Amino acid sequence: MPVVKAVTCPVCGSLCDDIELTIQEGKVVKVKNGCAMCESKFLGYNGEHRILKPLIRKNGEFVKTSVKEAVKRAAEILAEANYPVLYGWSSTNCEATRVGIELAEEVGGVIDNTSVICHGPSILSVQDVGIPSCTLGQIRHRADLVIYWGSDPWSAHPRHIERYTAFSQGRFENSAWRGYLTKIKASQVRKKIESAVRRVFLKEAPSIPPLIRREPPPSIFREGRKLVIIDVRRTRSAQMADYFIQVEPNRDYELLQAFRALIRDEELEVDQVAGVPVEYLEEVADVMIRCNFGVLFFGVGLTMSSGKLRNIDAALSLIRDLNMRTKFVIMPMRGHFNVTGANTVSTWQTGYPYAVDFSLGYPRYNPGETSVVDVLLRKESDAALVIASDPVANFPRKAVEHLVKNPLIVIDPHMNATAQMADVVFPSAFVGIEACGTAYRMDHVPLPLKKVVEPPRGVLTDEEILRRILSEVKKMRKKRQVEVAA
Amino acid sequence: MIKLTPAKEFQFPINAECINPDVLSGKTREEIEKLKIWEGNKPKKIGELFKVEENRTENPLEKEAAITIHGNVSKARRIGADMKNGEIVILGDVGMHLGEEMKGGKITVHGNVDSWAGSMMKNGTIEIHGNAGNYLGAPYRGCSEGMHGGKIIVNGNVGTEAGAHMKKGIIKIYGSAGQFVGFRMCDGTIYIQKDAEPRAGACMTSGKIVIGGFLESVLPSFTIDSIKGKVKIEENEVAEGPFYLFLGDRVEHGDGKLYVFKTKNPHLSHYEKYL
Amino acid sequence: MELLIKNGFVFDPTNGVKGEKMDIAVSDGKIVEKVNERKAKKIDASGMIVMPGGVDIHCHIAGSEVNTGRLLRPEDHFKDFERKTSTTRSGVGYSIPSTFTTGYRYARMGYTTIMNPSMPPLEAKHTHEELSDTPMVDKASYPLLGDWWFVLEYLKDGKIEECARYIAWIMSSTKGYAIKIVNPGGLEAWGFGHNVSSIDDQVPCFCITPREIIRGLCKVNKLLNLPHTIHVHTNNLGKPGNYQTALETMKCVEDLYDGNKPAIHITHCQFSAFKGDDWASLQSGAEEIANYVNTHSHVTLDMGQVIFTDTTTMTADGPFQYTLYELSGNKWVNHDVETETSAGIVPFRYRRKRYVHAVQWSIGLELALLIKDPWKIFMTTDHPNGGPFTSYPKIIAWFMSKKAREAALKRINPRARSRSLLPTIDRELNFYDIAVVTRAGQAKALGLINKGHLGVGADADIAIYNVNPEKTDPSRKYKLVRRAFKRAAYTVKDGKIVVKDGEVLKHVEGATMWLDVQSLEPAKITDDVKRRFREYWTVEYENYPVTEDYLEVSNPIPIKACV
Repeated sequence: MPVVKAVTCPVCGSLCDDIELTIQEGKVVKVKNGCAMCESKFLGYNGEHRILKPLIRKNGEFVKTSVKEAVKRAAEILAEANYPVLYGWSSTNCEATRVGIELAEEVGGVIDNTSVICHGPSILSVQDVGIPSCTLGQIRHRADLVIYWGSDPWSAHPRHIERYTAFSQGRFENSAWRGYLTKIKASQVRKKIESAVRRVFLKEAPSIPPLIRREPPPSIFREGRKLVIIDVRRTRSAQMADYFIQVEPNRDYELLQAFRALIRDEELEVDQVAGVPVEYLEEVADVMIRCNFGVLFFGVGLTMSSGKLRNIDAALSLIRDLNMRTKFVIMPMRGHFNVTGANTVSTWQTGYPYAVDFSLGYPRYNPGETSVVDVLLRKESDAALVIASDPVANFPRKAVEHLVKNPLIVIDPHMNATAQMADVVFPSAFVGIEACGTAYRMDHVPLPLKKVVEPPRGVLTDEEILRRILSEVKKMRKKRQVEVAA
Repeated sequence: MIKLTPAKEFQFPINAECINPDVLSGKTREEIEKLKIWEGNKPKKIGELFKVEENRTENPLEKEAAITIHGNVSKARRIGADMKNGEIVILGDVGMHLGEEMKGGKITVHGNVDSWAGSMMKNGTIEIHGNAGNYLGAPYRGCSEGMHGGKIIVNGNVGTEAGAHMKKGIIKIYGSAGQFVGFRMCDGTIYIQKDAEPRAGACMTSGKIVIGGFLESVLPSFTIDSIKGKVKIEENEVAEGPFYLFLGDRVEHGDGKLYVFKTKNPHLSHYEKYL
Repeated sequence: MELLIKNGFVFDPTNGVKGEKMDIAVSDGKIVEKVNERKAKKIDASGMIVMPGGVDIHCHIAGSEVNTGRLLRPEDHFKDFERKTSTTRSGVGYSIPSTFTTGYRYARMGYTTIMNPSMPPLEAKHTHEELSDTPMVDKASYPLLGDWWFVLEYLKDGKIEECARYIAWIMSSTKGYAIKIVNPGGLEAWGFGHNVSSIDDQVPCFCITPREIIRGLCKVNKLLNLPHTIHVHTNNLGKPGNYQTALETMKCVEDLYDGNKPAIHITHCQFSAFKGDDWASLQSGAEEIANYVNTHSHVTLDMGQVIFTDTTTMTADGPFQYTLYELSGNKWVNHDVETETSAGIVPFRYRRKRYVHAVQWSIGLELALLIKDPWKIFMTTDHPNGGPFTSYPKIIAWFMSKKAREAALKRINPRARSRSLLPTIDRELNFYDIAVVTRAGQAKALGLINKGHLGVGADADIAIYNVNPEKTDPSRKYKLVRRAFKRAAYTVKDGKIVVKDGEVLKHVEGATMWLDVQSLEPAKITDDVKRRFREYWTVEYENYPVTEDYLEVSNPIPIKACV
């Protein structure tokens, strides 16, 4: 059976590229090295919701049609629109996004990717403060302090800790895996003994451990990597941490500013910040300053808590300030596998990472004004193209209400919620399984996506569908110009 | 004296930077009707979107104005952008970037205003009788050149980040303010008569914020300085205290002044022990 | 297609043509002896200057750091935009233009070949994707190899030949063109927030010095017969007193000069020519560097001229960018790349009235004017570090006119003015010299055989400027010269007229040049090497190289190596 090695996994922003797939009769039958998310994607992508033929809505019902007809209808919708939006792009390859931007420019639309609902605020703050960052390998080799803030890598980026951070083996830093195992075992034994003692001798019911561990664990005094988790709830990742800080919901900003003051050796005039005693914060701040190389990963938990972009502003400033004392870097935990790529392509072609408005014939950018969610909330668009995304499931209800009123084109391998509401639906090949291309990892490292199996007959790639729509739009506009001139 | 009335209810964004006294002055009605204006992605003429009339009114609200707009123009953006002279009166709601980078003159709105009003303004006055959106007087994305002068008066409430990166000038808000008022401000004055949401004055380095109502919490990076009896807002205007005076934001080595009305904020009394 | 450019004043230094009135014939994208005059398309260039298309040896136009710079600065773009037309794509400027706009703006100035000088090998695909979206010009990229762990380890063990084989492999796999060395050793040290401070400092954890890295890679360069020399951004860049480091760097490869081809290129030399103990006592070290270069033939330089404007600084020199952030307090991006390099970005405004900035401005011009041989120093701004490339016409005017320099001097910081050497320099470059420092010299230093000249067989990349050398005295009419170089009357790319009167007529794709280095014995990619790969990088060996399909138009240049 043929085995394809070094396959890049098209699921999350970690973009693990060491997956080995076994192919049998044009199907993936075995996945090696992948996490559960990776396995279910490669083994289960071809599910029952797969669309195989383009669909057009006629009298309220979907009718199967040819690619040519669907392209024509899509091109009409876009070419006639006064303010179309083109949304998605984070789960397709960069090649498709390149064509997408040209299409948006041609039809004078707003092109936006899913950053608008995840790490858009982070980008806005990067534009205010900058960002000290690095690639993930740098962290693997050097980081002796790893902080995750508002992100649960164990669930959302399962191999992140193992491949790039605390449990990975680097040149200058060893994996903390063994230490962790010992610690876990010891604590389990201790817990068993304690609960046995309590049950047998004190006749108590087993108690739940307190949420905030105020005493530093002994591991802090050991050499090697340390893991700090900061979150509103005790996540799975938190259980492995050397330090866990449970922050009151929507108080991240205060906590970050407190840390900023503490690393400048300022005294705070409060006893606790965001529900955490100041002494504890002082200790963690001390750990931050004393490390050789620290890293802070932040997730949507931070970008979407109250204060949004300014939380990130504070986080970026904290890390920037820490560089006065030691080496420290920061990185957003990007969700979709190629959301970074969508930002990257958009930036080099238009100067702006997302929410680009071409309505005046040149790129304009101002999230809040030109971002798709806001455009929809203000009911300004009159046509929409959605690719590789499911806004009907993810957007605020009011935005969805307007979106589905627009003539809607959907390009997706699946019959998702948005496709159900569409006027034209194009089935497309799964990027990274049935179509090759390029994707960018969360740290901006480009990786090739492989085509390991053939798409179903007649199903085209995102890039090809967009190219056809683009060329049809150009043809229509040329024809109209001739008509106007005549 | 030009009166503009929207010819229809707009759906698409209107890029209306030509609605500016400097552009319209000295032009006849016909010339104005031919000026280019964008509706969505289509270039149009003002005459297609607005009814243009010579205005001869005795209404004291709009008597002096070079341009008056009657009706809802909440989709029209950049009205009065870059204007240097003259007055615009708007009787209705108006869209984003009103008076962006304005250098002089006056804009009066009898209605609500969307975000980025008075963004990066250098001089002149904007008076808003309704509410204002987010980023009042704040700069464009990535830019740290906030308001450099002039005056913004809002009778209603404002959204988040009013007066961000402010360098000079004054913003007076007679209603309440959203989060991050005076974010990263360097100088100038912001007065809020009513309540402010948390994080007022975050990362400010200098300047003055006066909050006359309730403030849920002061950022931990501020330090209490004293209690003041009253605070000067501008010439001939003083807010009567007592006010807690906080200094900050220490994370930016700032010495900005944050005045919080003592009577309405008893929960801040624990700071008094540091006095 | 055939083209005939008639009656222009041709400046073609490589072939010794000094403004003679002559015709240039083009067929199939190449310069030819003659064409059928009746059939060929004709350009009447009478009263105009005809030069080879401009060549830029060092400008950051593509790749991860440039793009992060774009992302960082919406405020740099929003007032400088270009609308979509029927032939061109839209885009934005100013100091870090989007890719299409970059291509158009270069073409408008008559430039046709661009060298993108810093490409982290791990992110080479990104650079090439952007270069493929940069139209109108031929381009190439230099991979950053001075702190590559493989290089450090092989050089430490003295395995020059082995190192050379891996460099041959990396050149082909990253589709690179020359060996770029940035603050050798310093970037590895920056991994933990440190730096090196002289070329004899030890690089932490690697038992090697910057001197050994530079010498080692210089030898490798020779062994591989690469067309360009090593391209060096010196240690201590941007620090007062660093002209000593620049001199030591040049001296350290003196003995490797074979009397034929230079051994080292010091890039954006202005930033490495600071004399003085601190910022207050900063002075120009241009004279010392010029004296050295005037008496040695193994070195070429480019200026890195500073322009008084708001720009975005970006280099692979992480520690330098951090210093710049500390000095300016502006927003700061750092991006370290595992086992290879680092990068930093800081927006920066050079102000006339600031002493340090004015001294920097003066240093660049002093270097260019004090170095007697124009084939040794080339015009760059280290775009966008010293200023955007669109400022080149300004620099040309300063080169050609003392009056222009005096006009600028009048407006700068008085203390800097009183210390500047410029008032004592009377030299004014002529059009021939300009053709050397903006194209012929650069092409020669890069070893580009078909670029930078108009001899038969050369690529038909031609720039025509509307200025009459017989009637215009550039010394007095420098503004006219500046205008002419700002908007080329015609730019011809591969035999096609792509720009007329400063407007883009046609969107054409340029080729990406790269070295296909064929070593006698190729680098052995054993299982052990693959294992090391997996340990050093977080990507698989198979996913590391750039395949040729990343290049819109690929132009491999075969090189026969000696190892």
